[in-house]
Amino acid sequence: MEDKKYAIEVKDLRIRYRCLNKMSIKQSLFKLKKSNMEIFEAVRGISFKVPKGEIMGIVGKNGSGKSTLLRAIAGIFAPDEGSIDLHGHTVSLLSIGVGFQKKLTGRENILLSGMLLGFSEEEIRERMPEIIEFSELGKFIDRPVRTYSSGMHSKLAFSITAILETEIMLVDEVLSVGDAKFKKKSFKKMKQLINDKDRTVVIVSHNGDTLRKLCDTILWLHDGVIKMQGSTKEVLPLYEEFMS
Amino acid sequence: MRRFLADIKKYREYAIYSAKSGLKAEVADSHLSWLWWILDPLLFMLVYSFVAIIVFGKGEKYFAAFVFIGLSSWRFFSGSIKQSVRLVSKNSSIVSKIYMPKYILIIIQMLINAFKMCISFSLVLGAMVLYLVPVSYRLVYIIPCMLVLFVVTFGFSCIALHFGVYVDDLSNLINVFLQLVFYLSGIFYSIETRVGKALGAGYVTLLLRCNPAALVIDSLRKCMLYNTEPDFLALGLWLIVGCIFSAIGIRLIYKNENSYVKVM
Repeated sequence: MEDKKYAIEVKDLRIRYRCLNKMSIKQSLFKLKKSNMEIFEAVRGISFKVPKGEIMGIVGKNGSGKSTLLRAIAGIFAPDEGSIDLHGHTVSLLSIGVGFQKKLTGRENILLSGMLLGFSEEEIRERMPEIIEFSELGKFIDRPVRTYSSGMHSKLAFSITAILETEIMLVDEVLSVGDAKFKKKSFKKMKQLINDKDRTVVIVSHNGDTLRKLCDTILWLHDGVIKMQGSTKEVLPLYEEFMS
Repeated sequence: MRRFLADIKKYREYAIYSAKSGLKAEVADSHLSWLWWILDPLLFMLVYSFVAIIVFGKGEKYFAAFVFIGLSSWRFFSGSIKQSVRLVSKNSSIVSKIYMPKYILIIIQMLINAFKMCISFSLVLGAMVLYLVPVSYRLVYIIPCMLVLFVVTFGFSCIALHFGVYVDDLSNLINVFLQLVFYLSGIFYSIETRVGKALGAGYVTLLLRCNPAALVIDSLRKCMLYNTEPDFLALGLWLIVGCIFSAIGIRLIYKNENSYVKVM
């Protein structure tokens, strides 16, 4: 079965940012006369497939379209051309602070974020102790989020997405959360999540070490096109050479 | 349409919980906390009654209830539309990280406003008891009036949300426009008696039928205070118009929502 094998299929994907800056009414009236819109193409026609259960790293210099690609897979951006097929898998973008209400307590925010990720209230309540324990927030979990330090904030965010698992996880540079101890712990948790055979993971990172330890394959993006794709051993040394 | 219903079902739980926590967050830091939900409309009722009765020296029959029916419905209507214009940029932290149909944000906001409106309306009922207003089965007509109010507000809000993303100063424009509609909606005066006397009955029908807010407010007063039939034909027509606007709005949002993030 073709369908079962791949978790993510991307075909000829192109994403453009039109110069869609916010406009005032005056400007939009002017725009009727001259329509020279500046178009910036962040992702320029790339296609690849990720088999189910694979862990793929995405590397590339700043502005090469990594985050745009990730957001497109998460369904936040619509592709301007081409298609992204997830074969009905649930997907979550692991990133910091999904819709926290700053005035509410950590506990209430866990429920809120969890529901946003598509879990039911019961499922979240079931997992709640696990999340709270993992986040190491202790008493602070019942205090408003605005009183949190930035470290605590991201720890909570990481714990929510790490424990409420989805079938496809997209990770955008968040492995460097919290202090050294929490970093180690979240790395371990990532590894444990990743070791699940059914889970597909896409990681964007600049950290060669992390990628070498976690990923099966690497996709190297350069200026919106694929420069290279292959196993970690093949691609990573070349990439590191290129960047140094 | 099918997608709309499926999405509503999918995000229903989140919308309700988010509305609840939104309400909680609003009063989380105040000393009187939830008492403000009651105090706020109550104090407004006192202020407006004071202005009308003491300063201008006259008012309609059952004035406090009269004003408050108008004011509560108006606050729901204009509040929801005004907030919609900025809704996407206000929620940019959610919008840029996860997909959800953007009109869910409108629904959350409307739920919050509806909750506040419920409280104001229970104050209206309290005032009605104090005034010993005679009521009848016509109170049931509140339901169709509210239905029209909700559908029309939702439709306008969807469209406001869509254009609010692209046009930065739309909110200024909408504020001015809504202020105009506010004075045309007969919140402190009765359109029928005031406008009728000054300009003739033709204008009354025109004002009431072209302005959904005025129509709903007038209809609510008719069935709650004066025990007469509301203008069902006009209500029905606005229900249809509201549905059309909602359909257009939902379609606009579905078509464009994934480019909203790129603007911010």
